[in-house]
Amino acid sequence: MDTNRRGFLGAMGRVSIGAAATVAGAGQSATAATDPDHRTHWGMVVDLRKCIGCQACTVACIMENDVPEDAFRTHVSVYELVKDGQDPAMVMLPRLCNHCDNPPCLPVCPVEATFKAENGEVLVDASKCVGCAYCVQACPYDARFINHETQVADKCTFCFHRTSVGLLPACVETCVGGARNFGDLNDPDSEVSRMLRENEVSVLRPEMHTNPNVYYIGLDEVLDGRVAGEAAYRPPLTGEAQATHGEGL
Amino acid sequence: MERVFEMDVQIHELVGAVHEAAWLPWAVQYFFLIAMSVTALLMSLPGFVFGREAALPKARLALMVAVTTGITAPIALLADLHQPGRFWEFFVYTHKTSWMAWGAWVVPSYVGLLILFAWAIHRPAFYRWGQQDWRFAWLFRLLSLGGEANWFARPLGMAAGVAALAILVYTGMEVTIVRARPLWNTPFLPLQFAATGFVGALGAMLVLERVLSRDGALEARLNRNLAAALAVVGALGLAWFALASSGLSPRHAEALASVAGFPVWQKIATWGALSIAVPFVLALVLPRNSGWVTGLIAIHAAWMFRWTVFMGGQAVPKVGSGLYDALMPTGIAGLMGVIGTFGLWLFLIIAYTTFIPWAEAGQPDDGRGAKAPGHPVRSV
Repeated sequence: MDTNRRGFLGAMGRVSIGAAATVAGAGQSATAATDPDHRTHWGMVVDLRKCIGCQACTVACIMENDVPEDAFRTHVSVYELVKDGQDPAMVMLPRLCNHCDNPPCLPVCPVEATFKAENGEVLVDASKCVGCAYCVQACPYDARFINHETQVADKCTFCFHRTSVGLLPACVETCVGGARNFGDLNDPDSEVSRMLRENEVSVLRPEMHTNPNVYYIGLDEVLDGRVAGEAAYRPPLTGEAQATHGEGL
Repeated sequence: MERVFEMDVQIHELVGAVHEAAWLPWAVQYFFLIAMSVTALLMSLPGFVFGREAALPKARLALMVAVTTGITAPIALLADLHQPGRFWEFFVYTHKTSWMAWGAWVVPSYVGLLILFAWAIHRPAFYRWGQQDWRFAWLFRLLSLGGEANWFARPLGMAAGVAALAILVYTGMEVTIVRARPLWNTPFLPLQFAATGFVGALGAMLVLERVLSRDGALEARLNRNLAAALAVVGALGLAWFALASSGLSPRHAEALASVAGFPVWQKIATWGALSIAVPFVLALVLPRNSGWVTGLIAIHAAWMFRWTVFMGGQAVPKVGSGLYDALMPTGIAGLMGVIGTFGLWLFLIIAYTTFIPWAEAGQPDDGRGAKAPGHPVRSV
């Protein structure tokens, strides 16, 4: 599968020209396509140098997945960074479920509603979930929430319903700058594998040893954990605290 | 893990998502009530199971607290589920790696054994009340199941005691293993839950003693027990802080760092310390006629510890900046669970003291224990 919207549109063109090709197969490399034992392992590489914080991904995800008003499966955090008195820099940080290979949300689920799908996605069986929210507590990325319309745990699925028919996740397809790249990490010829080889990448909260499948290019280390800064939101009764909080710095 | 960056960095979060608490005040109520129940049950065992005649007045109050909180707690737990109608799935799809899944088996086992134990202890009095000629005799004949034998109360009490210990283990571990929340992920937490559970249970017993018994000797004894429990809570708190501030325990240090910079947390720490110190001093200096004050402050301390851990812990963002709303929720909606469960608990205490011959409860008659008092004290 192709890596971002531009590549995907190119693939769509090839599909319409070559009638035998399917959308799902269009982006798969020859190596992966001919190997009968090949198992796709989805991953995302976010090139922060290209993210402009437009929140198109946030909106696309909400529209695609019918995310309720008070929650997000993905969003872009925006920070102003001032280092050593230099000019302030605007930094974007798209956040989503990291579809970890060692997901802390999985072992805590009391009824096995959370599971790791064949291609690496961490999913929730909504028909089984009891809504205990233990997984919401266990996720170190604040990527899960209780959906108040379904009353079960909700999260990013890497748009499982789209990838299983050969489409890109909605956030990737809509990404204006091509910052979000999605593909098969097990395919050495995929664009995401190439990006991982050719760039210095990092993950969020590496100290949690969750083995995330969402990688970042250009992530400042002051942002890879709990960001110790002045918050955008100040709760009515505890807001006074924000300005003096210097945890982690 | 806290890291120190050499450079001077200032960060302002301009756009970020706010996360609401996923475990609601119902969860606070559950952990508060179940801890009181199991610790109270353990305190009822010397009098009822281990043959200590002098401990009977204390054991009667302890069993009353254990039963009333033990029935209320699972209701609060069920209410905290967002899909309460699917509770049966816990027993069909038990996930062995989840402490909560094990808890789903331990909780009903404990509550079942607790109620059976309480029934066995009260059975002779049920029988006696059923033999008398009065309006509700039929009810007590029904409750006694036509007999007064209760030799099985001792094994039931011991089994309930084991289940109570299992509750302390599972409730502690369930929260402690959550690495994503530094405030929870500390090895001391299960011990703190247990110690503050004893404080809450003794607080409730002191208040009930003032209302029901007004026996100065029992009040003094309960106050001495409370002082001991508070000393343990204080020692654990000091050790927690010493491990965290010295950096000897990285997990405790991380927990402290996650909240230390916030003035609201400094106020909570001061408040918490006072809730331990004030009843401790009062219970030691004035063991008689202070039960109302020490009891209510002790209940407050045990409850507040859990509110701070659960709601305060959820107010700390995992990746974002600042604090979320959970610690100090506005509006009445979140507090309905607290008001509702306290209302149910109060109702059960009234029902228990009205319909259960609690003051006649004695040691089980298995040929070696003492008999119950000869003069019935009927409150119906």
